[in-house]
Amino acid sequence: MEEFFNKIKESFTDATLEFETITIKVDSTEWIETHQNLRDQFNLKFFSWLSAIDWDNEVSVGEAPKESVSPSFEIITCLSDLANTNLIIVSTSIVKSDPKIKSLVEIYAGANWHEREAFEMFGINFENHPNLEKLYLPDGYEGNPMLKSFELISREVKPWPGEVDVEGMPEESESDKSEDG
Amino acid sequence: MTEVLIKVGFLAAVALNGAIIFTIMDVKGASWMQRRPGPLHVGLRGFIFPLAEILKFVQKEDIIPTEVDRPVFKWAPAYVMVSCVALFAVVPMSPTLVVADLELGVFFALAISSLGTIGVLTAGWSSANKYSLMGGLRAAGQLIAYELPLILAVVGVVIQAETMSLVGIVEKQIEWGVPFVVGGQIIGFLIFMVAATAEMMRVPFDMPIGESELTMGFMTEYSGIRFLIFYISEYMNMFILCAIASTLFLGGYHVPLLPTEWVNFYGPVVLLTKTAILGFILVAIRWSQPRFREDQLQNLAWKILIPASLVNILVTAVMKVGF
Amino acid sequence: MVNALDPQNINSFSEASVSVEIETEDMTLNIGPQHPSTHGVLRLVAKVDGEKVHDVKPVLGYMHRGYEKLAEVRTYPQITTLVNRIDWVAGFSNEIPFITGAERLMEIEVPERAKHIRLILTEMARISSHFVFNGAYALEVGALTPIFYAMEDRERVLDLIESVTGGRFHPNFNRIGGVKPAAGAGPTTKKDIQDLPAGFYRDTKVAMQKVIEAADQFQNLIGGNEVFKKRTKNVGVLTAETAEAFGVSGPILRASGVKSDLRTQTDYLPYDQFEYDIPVGENGDCYDRWDVRVKEMVESAKIVLQAIDSMPSGPLQAKVPKVIKVPKGRTYVRAENPKGEMGYYIVSDGGLGPYRLKVRTASFSNISILPNMLEGALLPDLIAIMGSLDFVLGDVDR
Repeated sequence: MEEFFNKIKESFTDATLEFETITIKVDSTEWIETHQNLRDQFNLKFFSWLSAIDWDNEVSVGEAPKESVSPSFEIITCLSDLANTNLIIVSTSIVKSDPKIKSLVEIYAGANWHEREAFEMFGINFENHPNLEKLYLPDGYEGNPMLKSFELISREVKPWPGEVDVEGMPEESESDKSEDG
Repeated sequence: MTEVLIKVGFLAAVALNGAIIFTIMDVKGASWMQRRPGPLHVGLRGFIFPLAEILKFVQKEDIIPTEVDRPVFKWAPAYVMVSCVALFAVVPMSPTLVVADLELGVFFALAISSLGTIGVLTAGWSSANKYSLMGGLRAAGQLIAYELPLILAVVGVVIQAETMSLVGIVEKQIEWGVPFVVGGQIIGFLIFMVAATAEMMRVPFDMPIGESELTMGFMTEYSGIRFLIFYISEYMNMFILCAIASTLFLGGYHVPLLPTEWVNFYGPVVLLTKTAILGFILVAIRWSQPRFREDQLQNLAWKILIPASLVNILVTAVMKVGF
Repeated sequence: MVNALDPQNINSFSEASVSVEIETEDMTLNIGPQHPSTHGVLRLVAKVDGEKVHDVKPVLGYMHRGYEKLAEVRTYPQITTLVNRIDWVAGFSNEIPFITGAERLMEIEVPERAKHIRLILTEMARISSHFVFNGAYALEVGALTPIFYAMEDRERVLDLIESVTGGRFHPNFNRIGGVKPAAGAGPTTKKDIQDLPAGFYRDTKVAMQKVIEAADQFQNLIGGNEVFKKRTKNVGVLTAETAEAFGVSGPILRASGVKSDLRTQTDYLPYDQFEYDIPVGENGDCYDRWDVRVKEMVESAKIVLQAIDSMPSGPLQAKVPKVIKVPKGRTYVRAENPKGEMGYYIVSDGGLGPYRLKVRTASFSNISILPNMLEGALLPDLIAIMGSLDFVLGDVDR
């Protein structure tokens, strides 16, 4: 893994190896070229997945980021090499006001459904995608459920964290055990 | 008039009982092969469960979808059933116990057996369901394809027996001392059984029903008593075709070494035993084989069975003339 | 006017008469969401011309439960309950990559014994998943008997999983830092912790021997059947290149001839301590996909037998804080699940729950290849190919 990371580092300046995961950050304009390069030069032919993260300071679900972040979409792909253990996470940032990025379908055919999922869940437009339509959600569904601003109705009814959730932590009932171990 | 009624009643009773026996055999055979108990609660160790089954279907609602072609949809099961029962008319259970000893018995049987196709096709077409339609079309293609080897396989027997009457064929086998399956018609018998399995639409030729592909094929939209009629006629068809096969190839109501003068007494038992043995082979095949693909099925009929049966006819004819 | 007597034209006419095709309108056949062979609620909108399939459009979402969203409002220990419902045929395997990811971020070293127990149960889950596949696939190509054998044998394995975890399908047995004290074991005092139930080793040995026998039986009963071979050989051939580009993983990829197994590549569980083969197919057809899975069952059984013999002693849990807070960071952990690569990308912001949890499931990528593979297939082949991909709708829709 170290060896591969050093190789990656030569080509990509913004590369990190944290928690056994190699991540490279690229500019959204280099999105296509980066993937082409990784596929052809680094033999990362296996397309694992594509997804996005919605970075926002005001959230309606979960916890807001501890440190203030600039609102943006982070788009992530995971590529790997079947023969070796090489695996890489490619990440890029796009602005929320005009969320669009070039589609990877030309390079990795498997990106098709993943991009459709990111399109309906986050509202990100993938340019040149052959059929960018909803994958999971029914026709006429409004909104993009995975956005941090999208409310989770069950949590609206019962605010998070509910009392039961905190009480039921398994560590409390088994505290004597963990001391043992 | 009374005679006709008695004959029809006799036919229906025997065919229905045959179907019930074959149902029990199929289900018990399945549970035996699949290492599970099977039906246990109705009657003696579950052996009369088909009666409960019939009662269950009869009391269920007969759902007729709104878009179907109502008269055709309603009458298709009856059509299939009648053609099955009529088939049994020419099968002799002993020299005298036969509803109609026709001069052209074989011809009649084969003609009637292809009538069921129309019932299946109309059922599939009138259901206004795409799965049913595909099932009906598959059934039509399959039954037409296997009608030919079925007929051609019988031609060998007819040549050998020099008669088309089923009683005559059995008498000829008694005269010969051995059944035709031993006396030169083994290939004819195998072709007949394969084609008959396809006619019954049983595994491995059950594409018209093909529950993993077409849900239930041409029966998809049927329920209640109409489904029951399809269900029973399937087993009836199985029973009757096995009976015809035993008559044509296995010596019918007679077994060698038994005294021919007592044939009227043991005839029915012998025929039913032979039928049951053939039926059991079909049961064993059903629960151990996967299903062919549609094109493989057609290839088997047109490229293997029909040429083989033509060769069989040729050989039989040469032997007949030569010896 | 074309001169019909011109020798050239005659030639072309005679050709035309052989290749004449009746123009027919394609029929749209809606397969699913309620259909016996769609493994739940997958819907395929197929354009068929008679028996021939022209265009297939999978419609997903009938089982979409939004786990990625739900995970954002839950704490890490609660998420294990969610994730083992993703691929319910092999519930235990789904917990492993998630728990490993959380442990990696918290930098907890899991005791060897806990790792071994995890490994044994993961392999058992794989065996039970392949049993289901075996039975269901035979059913799909029309053989009605093998599913009864498969279910009977699978029950033996599920009984073992139940004896340890208390649940057949959804064990929820992993804890951050180790595993839960086993169900049905001895008393709970501080010194005498609950462990594997009495007789577990003995029962497992018997059951694994039965699994090996059952796999042999399947090879004879299904694999040796001529009709089955006719239905599956050279049907739905998938090349390694296409499989890679689509992210197809697991036994399907191995059936296409790629020797790729994440058990050897990543160190989420101590697989390197055991000896086992990785079965690889040659042609990438339906038969190979079936064959690879049957052979895998035997290999899994061998791994379990070895793991039982080399089970280390020691605690079941590492020392973990009372309230689990995962430090800031992100990691991707993948594992070889029965259906392929399953991974969790955890983005933690130092809170009680993840900021974002991306769930990478095997079946989702595996069936995204369906439209490609089904082009021009026959309708019975459609069922055979779909079945050979062995997907679970919970794993597709999440």
